[in-house]
Amino acid sequence: MSEPLDLDALRAAARLAGFAWSDTQLEAIRPMVEASRRLLAGLEELPLADVEPTTQFRMF
Amino acid sequence: MADLAFASAAELARLIAGKQVSPVEVVRSQLERITSLDGSLKSFITVTAEAAMTAAREAEAAVLAGRPLGPLHGVPLGLKDLYDTAGVRTTGGSRILADRVPAADATVVRRLREAGMITLGKLNMVEFAYGPEGRNAHYGHARNPWDASTHRMAGGSSSGSGVAVAAGLVPVALGSDTGGSIRIPCSLCGLTGIKPTYGRVSRAGVLPLSWSMDHVGPMTRNAADSALALRAMAGYDAADPTSSVLPVPDYTAALSGDVRGLRVGLLRAFFLESATSEVRSAVEAAARALEHAGAIVDEVALPGVRHVAAGALAVVATEAMSYHAAWLRTRAGDYDPAVGTRLMAGAFVTGVHYVRGQQARALMRREVDEALARHDVLLAPATPVTAPGIDDREVALGDGASDVRSALIRLTRPFNFSGHPACSAPCGFTAAGLPIGMQIVGRPFDEATVLRVADAYQRVTDWHARRPVLA
Repeated sequence: MSEPLDLDALRAAARLAGFAWSDTQLEAIRPMVEASRRLLAGLEELPLADVEPTTQFRMF
Repeated sequence: MADLAFASAAELARLIAGKQVSPVEVVRSQLERITSLDGSLKSFITVTAEAAMTAAREAEAAVLAGRPLGPLHGVPLGLKDLYDTAGVRTTGGSRILADRVPAADATVVRRLREAGMITLGKLNMVEFAYGPEGRNAHYGHARNPWDASTHRMAGGSSSGSGVAVAAGLVPVALGSDTGGSIRIPCSLCGLTGIKPTYGRVSRAGVLPLSWSMDHVGPMTRNAADSALALRAMAGYDAADPTSSVLPVPDYTAALSGDVRGLRVGLLRAFFLESATSEVRSAVEAAARALEHAGAIVDEVALPGVRHVAAGALAVVATEAMSYHAAWLRTRAGDYDPAVGTRLMAGAFVTGVHYVRGQQARALMRREVDEALARHDVLLAPATPVTAPGIDDREVALGDGASDVRSALIRLTRPFNFSGHPACSAPCGFTAAGLPIGMQIVGRPFDEATVLRVADAYQRVTDWHARRPVLA
């Protein structure tokens, strides 16, 4: 999940999400995307199976 | 002029109501001060001098006519430039919205005007509120007033709000707080400000960064003024679907100065541990001062806080990308690259990540609730460091080096994630003369106790009363 991303994979993922960013723009964000993926991978370590997400926040 | 510049909002309201000073005199002196100082401070994006003077003359007429006055009648106000203001551009600190002129005021702006406040203009901020340093490539980097020799960060994203209040340009400013954007500039600029409970104050008419993490609140020079402003802002608003129907207490009446028997949980692991030695010592001294005043202090931990960075990233990146998607398709080059790249990276956070983030949020909320079942408030540093230099990229923390952005947001973001009310208040200065901020966290919708603790502390200390030396 947190392996390095090559430009082709990044371009394909961006297009899939509807963004036609240039290779220069994609190269600029690649380190940040890789760092984000490493950080987000940590969420898988949490015991979340029985936890309902906070989709409607606390209100009274 | 100097006395009016640093008078509290409560004092100004009292003087104006008592006909001891005119709103015209107050507003004129603040506008003159903005003209004189803000060229270098860069706290304002737009100054609405003419409208402010018109409002001041109307306010003066109301006083002289003996009409009923609001609790903040004639008191100047600065607005972070993401609050909609009818007929006045609201840029979000961006080039993209540089010419956007809303048709109506944000709910809280309307409420504060109804309470009598007079807006002097729109304040600088990090572009679209996405960053804690206080830099802005389009409108200039706001300058922290506490160091005349070095350009230091004001903290963000409500950077102009922090600078304007600290420099005596306005007594009250509004900020917004998605990961600490009220509390970080308060900490770095020596101010008191509160991020209320999620749902306590309407977000209607405030440009969003992350709908489920955004909070709005006041930034002032003392806790009593935060109490006064929050009372005027808070309460149910049908225009905000997450607005709470709970009644709003009189926060000023709650400022008893009495903390005897109050249980304070001092957050050492992760919080004090990551602070520099000067920040840690100041917050520990604040805990002792509260203990001396009769509070019961012990230590408490929030082990799940280590997962907040990942969870908050999943939530904020996804919600921010969703808001900005159309512009990122057509105007990506108009963002400051430092902001645009982070927004674009949000396109690669998956739906599963987002839900995991919201699940992690439920765990964190439960953990903070459990800590607050045994304590009335939690106490921690607001930021682990004092104001870095404007171009600093890395800072030394108590537990290792960190990039500046992660360091500044580290101790405030957990309570955006959990939604609990939290204020920042000054609790000391470094040997170099930079302010240190502590954070007081309370139970949901118990802003009254949070402000009571901050106010009680300010009755026995004078950190909040110190002023920067300005040219």
